[in-house]
Amino acid sequence: MSEPVIELQGLQHRYDTDLVLRDVDLSIGEGEIFGFLGHNGAGKTTAMNILTTLLEPTGGTATICGYDVVTDRREVTRLIGYLPADVRMYGHMSAAENLEFLAKLSGVPDARAAARETLEYLGCADLAKRRVGTFSTGMRQRIGIAQAIVHRPHVLFLDEPTSGLDPMGVRQLRETVLQLNRDLGMTVFMNTHQLNEVSKVCTTIGVLNHGELIYNDSIEATMRRFPDEASLEDIYVRVGDLAS
Amino acid sequence: MSESTNRIMQVARHEYRAAVRSRALIILLAILVVATGFSVFIGATDYAAQLAEYDAYRAAAQAQGLTRIAPSPLAVLSLLRGAFEYLEIIGAIIAITLGYLSVSRERVSRTLPLLRSRPLTGTELAAGTFLGALAIFTTLIAATAVVGIVALGTIGNDWINPAQVLRLTLACVAALLYLSAFYCLGAIATAKAKMPANGLVIALGIWLLVVLVLPQIGDTLDADNQLPGGLFQALGLNHDGEIAVLTHFTGYEQVRTGIEEASLAKHFERFAFAMSDVKERYRPYGLPWLLNETRHDIGWLFAYAAVLFLGLRRTLTRQQPIPTGGNS
Repeated sequence: MSEPVIELQGLQHRYDTDLVLRDVDLSIGEGEIFGFLGHNGAGKTTAMNILTTLLEPTGGTATICGYDVVTDRREVTRLIGYLPADVRMYGHMSAAENLEFLAKLSGVPDARAAARETLEYLGCADLAKRRVGTFSTGMRQRIGIAQAIVHRPHVLFLDEPTSGLDPMGVRQLRETVLQLNRDLGMTVFMNTHQLNEVSKVCTTIGVLNHGELIYNDSIEATMRRFPDEASLEDIYVRVGDLAS
Repeated sequence: MSESTNRIMQVARHEYRAAVRSRALIILLAILVVATGFSVFIGATDYAAQLAEYDAYRAAAQAQGLTRIAPSPLAVLSLLRGAFEYLEIIGAIIAITLGYLSVSRERVSRTLPLLRSRPLTGTELAAGTFLGALAIFTTLIAATAVVGIVALGTIGNDWINPAQVLRLTLACVAALLYLSAFYCLGAIATAKAKMPANGLVIALGIWLLVVLVLPQIGDTLDADNQLPGGLFQALGLNHDGEIAVLTHFTGYEQVRTGIEEASLAKHFERFAFAMSDVKERYRPYGLPWLLNETRHDIGWLFAYAAVLFLGLRRTLTRQQPIPTGGNS
């Protein structure tokens, strides 16, 4: 595997008495598109919140490009882009203003140009001057991705990026992720339930079950390992059965 | 400009723009400026008549060859009393509302994770929002002062001199500290409350206590307020005589002063009234004496603003960008 960009060692998180992440060890290499799978409440969002520095783990360590997400927060936030599950932006501002503001906070020298170029790159330059508050779910998702990549991060975190999107939106998002990975060399970490999307986009997968990482391998190796299963959905069920 | 300063300035600019887009805030600001303008207009009209009378007396005295002419008893800056009182009451509500809007906007729209997933620290966020609020207050106070000065000059026929401008500027600085403290109070209460609106209610409760209840208790207990025009003036005592009398009531005065010291509004009022000649007993003195006399008040104002800003910084630094409990 290539040099690890994301590394989790014995990662734990506890909400009061509820242990939602249990000693998770995970290593994701440069340029990979990683699909993080698991049932609702498995701990995927908690793991992503820790990796994006929004939450401090109660145990273990997590690093991005060698920087610790707790002690080197500033360096980590320069390296990552984040699209939350529920895309929220400043509704009273236009798409370009939202992007420009966030780019400035990330230290982008010419934030206005970066915002314009990002919108053009994602094919949504027509939305630049419109107020975000009036956008549909699909539009918000595209602007959400734009804000996540406006500072050209090294690693992109997407939390349930296809939720609420229509089939065209899902397809568009898939193409965008592949494009970002191919053109800009971004490593992508994606929480998702959409197994068919994972098989079309991801290079590696991990399965989280009640806070425990029960499976982690490349898509190719997974298909080889479970040759009798018809789809990734069958494999997912099988992995869950094996774990229990 | 360092990267950190740049981020602080961006947040400040963002805060300022968001605030001026708030309809509720604009309405409150308009009420304050209109109320101030009206108050100064009424005072200045009456002042113009009194000034004309004094000028007539002075001209007559000079015509008769008198060498000792009584100085004017009028104090043009004292006409701004209403402006300071409105700042003290309505201004504090505006400041609390601004603090509430600043925090609740991020909480309700859930945009805090967007900010905190950037290289922005809690201290930078607190400093940026505070600076943005300061910019709004500066605009508000400057607008109020300009309305007042122009009304005094055009309606009262008495343009203030550079020394008075300096004193007015100092009073405006005190107003800035006063409003900043209430801004921080509103923001802290909103950030700490489970529901943002509850924070607003708590902050307004504290406002009621600090701005209306405590000063009223302090005023009621003040010996000098027991007679119209002032007890000590009625007794023919000057400031030193007043102090000599009050040394016989130190315990009582300490309790009364303690109640007043607890009120941020009282410190602002004392300082602003001293600088703007509202209190007649301060009028004969120059700026150095006035500053020495009111040093505790400006000190308390500064201390309140600094402590509340540190509280805001601590609150925003510890604020969870995402609700605890998590989705998964």
